[in-house]
Amino acid sequence: MRTPQLADRVGAASGGLDDVIEVGGLRQRYGDFEAVRGISFTVPRGEVFALLGTNGAGKTTTMEVLEGFRPATDGTVRVLGLDPVRQQRELRPRVGIMLQEGGFLGDLTVAETVDLWKGLSEDAGRPVTLSGGAELPGRLTLMGRVRGVDRATMGALELVGLESKARVKVKQLSGGQKRRLDLALAVLSAPEVLFLDEPTTGMDPEARRTTWKVIEDLRDAGTSVLLTTHYLEEAERLATRLAIMHEGRIHTHGTVEEVVAASGDRIAFRLPGTSWTFGDLPVLDGVAPVLTYAGGGDGTAARPAAGSPAAPSTAPFTEVVYTLTGADTETRAHAALRPLMAWADGRGAALERLAVRRGTLEDVFMRVVGEQR
Amino acid sequence: MKTDVLHAVRLARLDLTLVARNTTVLFNVLLLPLLMAWMFTGAQGGAEVAGVPGGAFVLTGVPGLMLGFAVFINLVNSFTARREELVLKRLRGGQPSALAVMAGSGLGALALLLGQMALLGIWLHRTEGVLPANVPLILLAAVLGVIVFALLAAAFSGLTPNAEMAQITVLPVLMVMLLGAPIAFPLDVLPGPLGTVSGLLPVTPVVEMMRTGFLGADHFSSGGEALSTAGQWVAALPSIGIMAVWIGVTGLLARWLFRWEPRHG
Ligand SMILES: Nc1ncnc2c1ncn2[C@@H]1O[C@H](COP(=O)(O)OP(=O)(O)OP(=O)(O)O)[C@@H](O)[C@H]1O
Ligand SMILES: [Mg+2]
Repeated sequence: MRTPQLADRVGAASGGLDDVIEVGGLRQRYGDFEAVRGISFTVPRGEVFALLGTNGAGKTTTMEVLEGFRPATDGTVRVLGLDPVRQQRELRPRVGIMLQEGGFLGDLTVAETVDLWKGLSEDAGRPVTLSGGAELPGRLTLMGRVRGVDRATMGALELVGLESKARVKVKQLSGGQKRRLDLALAVLSAPEVLFLDEPTTGMDPEARRTTWKVIEDLRDAGTSVLLTTHYLEEAERLATRLAIMHEGRIHTHGTVEEVVAASGDRIAFRLPGTSWTFGDLPVLDGVAPVLTYAGGGDGTAARPAAGSPAAPSTAPFTEVVYTLTGADTETRAHAALRPLMAWADGRGAALERLAVRRGTLEDVFMRVVGEQR
Repeated sequence: MKTDVLHAVRLARLDLTLVARNTTVLFNVLLLPLLMAWMFTGAQGGAEVAGVPGGAFVLTGVPGLMLGFAVFINLVNSFTARREELVLKRLRGGQPSALAVMAGSGLGALALLLGQMALLGIWLHRTEGVLPANVPLILLAAVLGVIVFALLAAAFSGLTPNAEMAQITVLPVLMVMLLGAPIAFPLDVLPGPLGTVSGLLPVTPVVEMMRTGFLGADHFSSGGEALSTAGQWVAALPSIGIMAVWIGVTGLLARWLFRWEPRHG
């Protein structure tokens, strides 16, 4: 899949201004219910900012306020220094939006849909410069149109891998294909700011990778992106900064590095038997371990019959997990291993299945949500 | 502003494409009023109405029916369906402004109406030998009618929870249009106060302007005597005034009731 020159004009169009998106003390109510309860963040130019969070956290609501669908109940929002509701006219041509859910005109074909969007964009003074199709071997090219499909349209479809569906009615597309079309429409006019609400939900792994590439290319060309996602690896891969929302508030935010480092490094292993207590184990980097006793069933069956489903399969063991949150994020795991090994040698104990890993975004996410519940 | 115009024209063309692809809409919106016109002319027989042959009277009133079908019902349906399918939301999140989206639908409906009226004009000429006397007056009536009924459709779509319900919510307006407007019979058939009320409905001024424009005779009052072009315009002034008021009223209603997104809860 090639990526035609998506966004040559993006960066040049607007200089100065460092924070492309500014949100300060945003609150949003629906009747009696407050969906967003005072959140603040900024997105610098050319960065991808990921908004993570539980279902109903208020991510889409926040996006829609920034997109100008409704005015904020309280607080300030600025996109490219403009008020999204009151200065919608100036803003609209410079912004691309992929809604969490947006309808298509089912009776139009895929190519007609892109053509419509391209036309609307051109009418607003943002010509679409994508090109493609012509280089494809074996295609009949006539006056810039590939078998009746405009070249820029074909370029947009190639970008998202939908070129073979150009003449198919939109209502016949699969869920993931509709999502791809959605992406093509959002990036068509090389926007300066791109809002993507769960862009890869429903996409297959290959399409997801394609989408990441499209987003990365746009970012590298200067587009600023606000993204929501439930795929943490997506946030880790694309975002410079992220925030984790729950019930209308931001609970953790920062650069991906910071947030992940704050989640701590893990040292985990098993000890045989279930007679271990806290007192037996060393304190590492100032923290005590968490012990979980497991396995074994009644622990007495000496030789279970092979294949017997009811037979206990493992001997009893104790799962030990240390979460290191020391200040030196680079060496804390290494430093903790030495006393651990010394303890094991002293006890003559073997650390089974010893694993040392850095914290993950998932750890942070689970902790944030866990603390609130 | 220029962008809005370009957007509206593009969206109007889109609407026409989609109408052409939808047989239900083609039948309900385009064929039905012509069918009704044919039935009404048959019922009128050869009798004279308000100084003109019954056929000519009915056919020049049929644009009132078309306003009901091609404009009002069509737009209530399309606004409601597009809102529920989140198409309106997508459009609003894209390049066109709210104004351009509405204007596009109105323009598409106007094109449908004018297309049907062209057919009607041919029909009138073939059967009654009538050539339209005042085309600008006819066009103005069409434009004013479309504005009022497009805004009314926007308002009614806000009261319509889903596309199926649209068949029901349009009924009151349609009944009033069919019974209260001088489409197949002159206003003075209605007893006193009803006639006055009917004269104030938005469809009556349109029909009267159209009929006067087609026949070149005064059909604002029951007279039906011939008028000069200037006389036709002067006679049309009260009707234009009534329509201007209706534009204000329906505009406010649309503002108040129209919804871009499905309601929650
Ligand atoms: N139009 C509305 N009217 C009333 N309540 C709403 C409306 N839209 C959203 N809500 C409520 O606001 C809260 C936040 O919704 P929102 O769609 O912003 O969540 P989200 O973080 O995007 O969730 P998800 O991850 O499931 O997409 C939810 O509790 C939802 O029920
Ligand atoms: Mg959401």
